[in-house]
Amino acid sequence: MSKKLPLYLILPSLLLALFVISYPLYELINLSLSDVNRFGKIRGFIGIENFTYIFEDPLFIDAALRTVLWTVAVVGGTILFSVPIAVILNTDFHGRGIARTILMLPWAISLPMTAIVWRWSLNGEFGMLNATLMNLGFIETPIVWLAESALAFPVQIGLGILVSIPFTITIFLGGLSSIPQDLYEAAKMDGANIWQQFKRITYPLLRPFINMAIVLNVIYVFNSFPIIWVLTQGGPNNETDILVTYLYKQAFNFGHIGEASAVSLVMFGVLLVFTIFYARMVMKNEK
Amino acid sequence: MALTKKTKRSLWCWLALSPIICVIIFPFAVMFFTAVKPRDEVFTFPPTWLPSRFEWQNYIDMWHATKFGDALFNSLYVSFSATIITLIVAIPAAYALARYHFAAKSSYRLFLLVTQMLSPIVLVVGLFRLVVWLGLIDSVNSLVLIYAGFNIAFAIWMLQNYFQTIPKDLEESSWMEGASFLQGLIKVFLPMAIPAIAVTSMFTFINSWNEFVLALTVLRTEENYTLPIQVYSLVGGRYTVEWHHVMAAALVASLPAAILFSWLQKKLVTGLSSGAVK
Repeated sequence: MSKKLPLYLILPSLLLALFVISYPLYELINLSLSDVNRFGKIRGFIGIENFTYIFEDPLFIDAALRTVLWTVAVVGGTILFSVPIAVILNTDFHGRGIARTILMLPWAISLPMTAIVWRWSLNGEFGMLNATLMNLGFIETPIVWLAESALAFPVQIGLGILVSIPFTITIFLGGLSSIPQDLYEAAKMDGANIWQQFKRITYPLLRPFINMAIVLNVIYVFNSFPIIWVLTQGGPNNETDILVTYLYKQAFNFGHIGEASAVSLVMFGVLLVFTIFYARMVMKNEK
Repeated sequence: MALTKKTKRSLWCWLALSPIICVIIFPFAVMFFTAVKPRDEVFTFPPTWLPSRFEWQNYIDMWHATKFGDALFNSLYVSFSATIITLIVAIPAAYALARYHFAAKSSYRLFLLVTQMLSPIVLVVGLFRLVVWLGLIDSVNSLVLIYAGFNIAFAIWMLQNYFQTIPKDLEESSWMEGASFLQGLIKVFLPMAIPAIAVTSMFTFINSWNEFVLALTVLRTEENYTLPIQVYSLVGGRYTVEWHHVMAAALVASLPAAILFSWLQKKLVTGLSSGAVK
């Protein structure tokens, strides 16, 4: 068998991936260092001017800070909800199969569709969320959910958490099923209560899976575009913009191609750092 | 006694899960009930859950008013083509990674890991330039190419995990018996890999079916819209939104992926968790 055979086998995939990822990356580097007009025509080399422009743009700084808040809140909330849900779904109870299927449902619908349905549900006048809350007596007058960022952004974070839960509990269920049942039997014999069992057995053994879920979710949430775009397009007054929506507007609404490319590369750098964390974790687990 | 204990436990479990279950079911209920309301009842204040009568005609009206058929065809075309291209390049690569040790193996896996972390949105300006350069603006074929490129990493990773569990001896003994390299692979190895290939292709299909940002950026005319863009275009930037049509369209557009998904879900749990600890 020829030594080159495996290389021939991976070559087609390498070429396609390189083509779709390297060419755009090369373009981004080129554009970010150039003076580009709104039709994408390069007018000359300007060094790091595009980068200094975005770092001096208060909207970029706001979007960057909001991205940190968005990522931390969504990922933190997701983990906080997913651990107890996964523990419940891992216990033996009537109708567990149905419960698991229901909890997976948000994953089955694409993000833009979910966001569109929620945009209608959150409608101030005709939305069913207000109607339901009013029927139940939680509120007396309708709330206009998406008109102000102080309300819209937390709603978007909540929605982000909701759609991240299925993936996360999937990882946790895999982790929980690997914990031997006799550990709990032994703990019960020693008189440990449920909380002590969680603290001493479940949590430490689940820890690697929690780390994995945190890193993967950070990457997904950092990149997430549809929820914010469909609900508010980063508005009102750019007050719900995160980096991806800022980037998209710079490029395709304002025609600031060079500046948008600079934002892309900054995000690429951040993602690379996350990826190194993830790669380390995977390698460590493989050992 | 044991039974009553389990029943009691079941009650507590369902009680604890009930708030999140309500939040999950809520949008589905909104979709369903809005889609069957007569138009004038969609915009009444205060809104009610139940329509005065079920207007199933909405689905037929929606189909024509939103040119649903065109968008459905585009989505099917893009997702099928992207899936086939992904499989054609990913199967040999996954086979190589599962069966051979070679110098570039670990660096290739690292490369795949990096591509998997990148989402189209981060490269969107560069991808747009790529599409312009290829002369494929407003063409669904540009999406086929890019979706295939972005799905490769996941497909190879998933396939490789399965391929490793298929014993090597079978194709090797077929080679010993005089079958050529390709014959051994196609007649002996591939039939056993079919479950893995099926799962991987459904994932690639669903990913392509649901993609939003690139389709939003590249497609310009309504005839070329895929489903997410078509439904979004009914909502974004319009003065009056026909919400009963939008909800009907969202429901119909979500069904294929949702059905595939619930069917796959069990396989997914084992696939993902084995991948996560490996």
